[in-house]
Amino acid sequence: MLLALLLCYAGFTALCLSTDRHHGELLRSKPSPQRRLGWRASGWLLLLGSIWPAVAVAGWSQGLVEWCAVLMLSALLLVLLLPYLPRLALSLAGAGLLASPVAAFVTL
Amino acid sequence: MKSKTTLPVSYRLAVTSRALAAVFGGYLIASLAAVCMALWLPTSRADAVVTGMMSSFVFYLLAVLWCFACRTAWRAWFGVMLPTAAFATLAGVGLWMART
Amino acid sequence: MKEGFRQAMAWLHTWVGLIFGWLLFAIFLTGTLAYFKDEITHWMQPEVQAHPLDDARSLAVAQAYLQQHAPDAARWFITLPNSRDPGLSVMWQDKLDPGKRGNFVQKVVDPVSGEAVLARDSKGGEFFYRFHFQLQMPHPWGRWLSTLAAMVMFVALITGIVTHKKIFKDFFTFRPRKGQRSWLDGHNAVGVLVLPFHLMITYSSLVIFMSMVMPAPIMASYGADTRAFFSEMFPATDNAPALGQPAPLQSLVPMYTQARAQWAGGQVGRLAVNNPGDVNASVNIFRAGSDRVAQDFGSMVSFNGATGELLRVGGGQSLPALIGGTFYGLHMGHFATPVLRWLYFICGLAGTAMIGTGLVMWLGKRQLKHARTGVMPYELRLVETLNIASMSGLLIAIGAFFWANRLLPASFAERSDWEVQAFFIAWGLSLLHAALRRGRWGWIEQLSCAALLLGAVPLLNAITTEQHLGVSLARGDWAMAGFDLTCLGSGVFLAWAAWKMRCRMAPQPTAERALGLNLTREAR
Repeated sequence: MLLALLLCYAGFTALCLSTDRHHGELLRSKPSPQRRLGWRASGWLLLLGSIWPAVAVAGWSQGLVEWCAVLMLSALLLVLLLPYLPRLALSLAGAGLLASPVAAFVTL
Repeated sequence: MKSKTTLPVSYRLAVTSRALAAVFGGYLIASLAAVCMALWLPTSRADAVVTGMMSSFVFYLLAVLWCFACRTAWRAWFGVMLPTAAFATLAGVGLWMART
Repeated sequence: MKEGFRQAMAWLHTWVGLIFGWLLFAIFLTGTLAYFKDEITHWMQPEVQAHPLDDARSLAVAQAYLQQHAPDAARWFITLPNSRDPGLSVMWQDKLDPGKRGNFVQKVVDPVSGEAVLARDSKGGEFFYRFHFQLQMPHPWGRWLSTLAAMVMFVALITGIVTHKKIFKDFFTFRPRKGQRSWLDGHNAVGVLVLPFHLMITYSSLVIFMSMVMPAPIMASYGADTRAFFSEMFPATDNAPALGQPAPLQSLVPMYTQARAQWAGGQVGRLAVNNPGDVNASVNIFRAGSDRVAQDFGSMVSFNGATGELLRVGGGQSLPALIGGTFYGLHMGHFATPVLRWLYFICGLAGTAMIGTGLVMWLGKRQLKHARTGVMPYELRLVETLNIASMSGLLIAIGAFFWANRLLPASFAERSDWEVQAFFIAWGLSLLHAALRRGRWGWIEQLSCAALLLGAVPLLNAITTEQHLGVSLARGDWAMAGFDLTCLGSGVFLAWAAWKMRCRMAPQPTAERALGLNLTREAR
C-alpha cells in the first residue's frame, strides 16, 4: 500500500501543478502549454500506474479497494497541506518519488 | 429562498406537492421498475429479483430529481405518472404471462 | 424554481441536506466508530483477556462448555476469537420454541481456562453499530428511517455533484481563514475527494436493506411465499430435523480442519450446531467475512454431527449476488487490514465533516443577512440549536458513554442499559444547553466539555483499571492503547477547536469572520 500511496500523492501533485493557479503559487511561474501537458500526462500516468503495486500485493479485489482508499486519502492530504505548508507538500511528493524504488524493493 | 420572509401560499403548496410526488411517486416508480426487471430479465428468478431491487434506487433518484427540476408541480406529477403507467403495464403483462 | 436545472438541484441539495443533516451526522459518526467496534468493545470489557489464537483449542473448549451447560439446547452457535475480538463467544437457543427468534443465551468463554468470563455488562462498540442503523427505535422503524436517510443522502450527493460541478476542474483549492468561502472549500474538498467512498457507503446501505424497503419484486416473483426467495438466495441452511434418538456429537475439530481445506485455508467465522446430541445433529461451518471483499452468506460447509460425514459444500455466487455481496462487504469492511481500517475511519470522518460543514454553511449564509440588525429569526435560532446539539452534543454523549462504562460499578443492575441511558441523557442535556445558551458560547462550552470528557479518557482508564497506556503499550495491546490515544487525540483536537473559536470571537464581531472561523476542527 505504501508504494501506491507514494505514487498517488506524486500523481496528484503533478496534476495540481498542471493548473495555472497552483503552478503559480507553488513554483512562482506560469507554466508553458507543453509544461502543463507534461505535468498532466505524468500525473495521470502516476495515478494509473499506482494501481499495479496495489493489485500486485493484495490481489484484484482487495488491491482495488486499497488503491481507492489510498487515492482518496493522498488527495485529501495534499489539499490540506497545500494552503498551510506548500513547500512541504511539494517536497513530500519529490521525496516520495525518490523513495518509491526503495518501497518497491521492500514490498513487491 | 425562504429568506424572502413571506412566501406565497401557492409556492408552498407547489413545493409540498412536488415533495409528495418525489417521495411517493418516486417509490412507486422504483418499485414498479424493480418488478418489471424481476419479471422480464432473462436470468434465474432470484437473480432477476436481486438485480431489480439493487437498481430500483437509481430509478427513485431519477424520479426525485425530475420532480424538483421540472417547471411546474403539475409537470412533476405528470412526469411521475407516465413512467408509472408504462412500468405498470409492463409488469401487468409480465404477471399475466407468468400466470398462463 | 424556474431558474434552470443547476439552481433547482442546488435548492434541493440545500433543503434535503438541512432537514436530514442532523440525523445523517449522527449516523455517519456512529457508523464511523462502528469500524472499530471490536476494539471499542475490548476497551469497554477489559476483563476479556486476549490469548494467542489457537482455533483447535478454542473450539474444543467451546464444545466442552456447551456440552456441560446446554446439552439439550436446540442450537449452538460458536464464534471463534480472532485478531480483533479476543472473546470466544458461545450462544445457545433453548428447546422451548424453536423457530421463533429469541430465548438465546450468550456467554463469553475464556479460550484457555474454559470458564465463562465475568466481564462487566456492556454493549461496547455494538451500541454504536446498532445505533447507526436502528437509531434506538423499535424494530422496523429505525431501519426504515435510516434507509430513508440513506436515500436522502444519495439524492444530496448527486445534487451536490450537479451543484458544485465546477469543483471537478480544480479540486485542489482550499482557502482557509476566508470565512464562508473556506467552509465552502472545505465542504467541496471533503465531498469531492472522498466521493467514491460516499457513493459506495450510501448506495451499499440501500442495498443492504433492499429486501426490507423494496419488497415488491419479491412479491411479484414469488407471491406470498417470500421465504422461497431467501432459501433460493441462501440455499445451504436446509437442515434435517431432530429424530429424538440420542447420539454423541463428534468432535468439532476435524470438521473444522476439513472445512478449511475446502476453502484452501480460508478462515472459519462461526459454527452452528443444530440438535446437538441427536442422531440427526448437523454442523454448519461458516466462512469468516474477513476472508474476501465480497460477502457470501452461502459460503459454508455442512456435516452430520453424529457421524462427522461431510454433507454439503455451499458457496459460489451468481453475478447479481456477487455485486450485492460486494456492496455489503465494502460497507462493513470486515476484510480490512488495520491500515485499511484506519483509512475507512478517516473516510468516515470526512463524510461526517462534509455533513457538518454543510449544516454550518446553511446557517452562516442566512445569519449574514441578519448580522446588522442583530436579531435572529426564530427558525435560524432553532437551526443553530440543533446544529450545536447534533454535532458537539453527540461528541459529549459519546464521551459520557465511555465514562459511564468506567464509573458504573460492575454489579449495577441493568448496567449496559444504563450506559446507553448515560449517552442519551448527556445528549439531551446538551440540547437543553444549546437552547439556553446564545450562539457561539454554546459551541465553545460544548466543545470544551467534549474535549475534557474525551481527553481525560486515558486518565480515567488508568485510575479505574490496570490497563493504562504504560501497560497496554508495553504489552502490545494495540486495541486498548489505540483507543486511549485516539480519545486523547480527539480531546486535544476539540480543545484546540474551542480555543480557536474563542480567540476569533473576542476582537472581531463582524459576522463574516464570526462564522468563518473553524472549518476543519468542527469537522471532527
